[in-house]
Amino acid sequence: MTRRRWFVVPLLLAPGLGLILALVGSVVVIAIGQSFGLFSIFGGGAFSLEPWSETLDRRVYWRSVRYSLQVGVVSAFASVALAYPLALWLRKPFQGAAFIGAVLKAPLLVHGLVAAFLYVNVISYHGIFNQFMQAIGVWDGPRRLQNDPGAVGVYILQTWKNMPFALLLLTGAVRSISDDVLDAARDLGAGTWARFRRIVLPLTTSVMQAALVIIYIGALADFSFQVIAGPINRMSLSQLMVFFKDRGDWHAAAVVGVTLMVLALAGAAVLTLFIQLIGRGWPRR
Amino acid sequence: MSEARIQRVLLVLLLIVCTVWLVVPFGMAILWSLVDPSVPWTADHVLPPALSFYRWIDMWQFSSLQRALVTSYALAPLAAITSLLLAIPTAYALGRIDFPGRELAKLACLLPLVVPAFVTAIFFTALLFQLGVHMYRFPAILFAHAVLALPYSIRIMTVSFEQVRQDHIDAARDLGASSWARFRVAYLPALRPGIFASLLIVFIQSIEEFAVAFIVGSPDIVTIPTLLFSALGQDYVRPNAAVLSLILVVPNVMLMLVLERLLRSANPTLASGKVM
Repeated sequence: MTRRRWFVVPLLLAPGLGLILALVGSVVVIAIGQSFGLFSIFGGGAFSLEPWSETLDRRVYWRSVRYSLQVGVVSAFASVALAYPLALWLRKPFQGAAFIGAVLKAPLLVHGLVAAFLYVNVISYHGIFNQFMQAIGVWDGPRRLQNDPGAVGVYILQTWKNMPFALLLLTGAVRSISDDVLDAARDLGAGTWARFRRIVLPLTTSVMQAALVIIYIGALADFSFQVIAGPINRMSLSQLMVFFKDRGDWHAAAVVGVTLMVLALAGAAVLTLFIQLIGRGWPRR
Repeated sequence: MSEARIQRVLLVLLLIVCTVWLVVPFGMAILWSLVDPSVPWTADHVLPPALSFYRWIDMWQFSSLQRALVTSYALAPLAAITSLLLAIPTAYALGRIDFPGRELAKLACLLPLVVPAFVTAIFFTALLFQLGVHMYRFPAILFAHAVLALPYSIRIMTVSFEQVRQDHIDAARDLGASSWARFRVAYLPALRPGIFASLLIVFIQSIEEFAVAFIVGSPDIVTIPTLLFSALGQDYVRPNAAVLSLILVVPNVMLMLVLERLLRSANPTLASGKVM
């Protein structure tokens, strides 16, 4: 590289990458700083471990951690588990495959808040789902389904929104497996499950891992689905963070924010490790 | 059962699922947005007894909808242009200059996608307080939308710059073209689809962005997503929420279809990374 380039490249990177680093960097620094009592909104602030010790003492915090982790992990695995068979089915083109693919992927184009409304509307007290269940005689009367304590609504919404994303990634990966390999396995007597386990799974591990991690991070940090359709007796981490911030307790909000970032990274690492272990250990048994 | 038969059964099964998956939710939303308030839609009616555009007209005249539309549709094009202008120099460096650490720089451009949206929104607000500029809400949201969309615009423009052919540039130079003429004949044709795609993706991202608009903008600034959020929360009136949902979803689906054509790929959603 010439000396001129050493000068030009940073100059070119400054408005794009530079701004990204400045914004994300300062957001992370302020979050970490505020979680240790620094950068107080009202001026000043001194280093202290108090925000952490106080927040970690709260039951609501631990409940949020557990709940958000659960939503993240369950949504990621449910979406990928549903997407796999569909991707395999759509692998070979047949009449109507493109249409089915488009319909299945349509939720990707729907805004999360709209999805939440659609769901809440369908399951409302006198909504179509309640009517249907009564019509077929399963339920005697309408049931209150919104904000259900088991968070079923949140899982349904997360899966509705994220399964298409996993399907999008997996369809590409599954299509790139050549027929020769699968035919060879079939000739050697491998059944459907064996072909999936020994060929499809190892060849699509990296894509599945990407889908799992991305969906996990999104669902872990969910705010809208939880607020609109989630249970009332606990809060997701994002919801808790906004709750603290709205009370003016920025330092507690920062503790929750840092927790979210740490859980996102740690969860991504654990998922990656887990998938690689499975990918390596599963074929031999 | 023969394979063709299994395929047919699967298809019928899937059509049912599709109905549950899309037709019922959207059908209910459309019906609810058309319920005429003179005769309420009660549980004993399968379809609303009276239909009208009353809710649409009412929302248009008496809610913050007009204000939200103006804000959203002013923010989005401005964010799209700002993001494109900010992205071009970086994309040029990443696409056309070979320098050590280029792959790392490409990776670092994805950073805004890793940090959860609400973490960014809240501590961006804290940053605005630190800098003492928290009262400038509109420019702050515009800035955040432009920078948070940079991963998309940089990525698309980098690919576009990579596609500019060196022999075209050299040929233009050999024929004595000025730098403007070189840009016009060698760069612009290769860049044009990328420019449109980048503008469109950032436009859609900005229209749909909720966290920053909600945290930084409230209570003064209303965008369509924040209006829908409040319509789903404290001011829940089902027909109004239905109207807002349709206003948010329909134009964006159409824009995404344009985008798909533009990128000439079946995966506009993958290219735009639209997950939430």
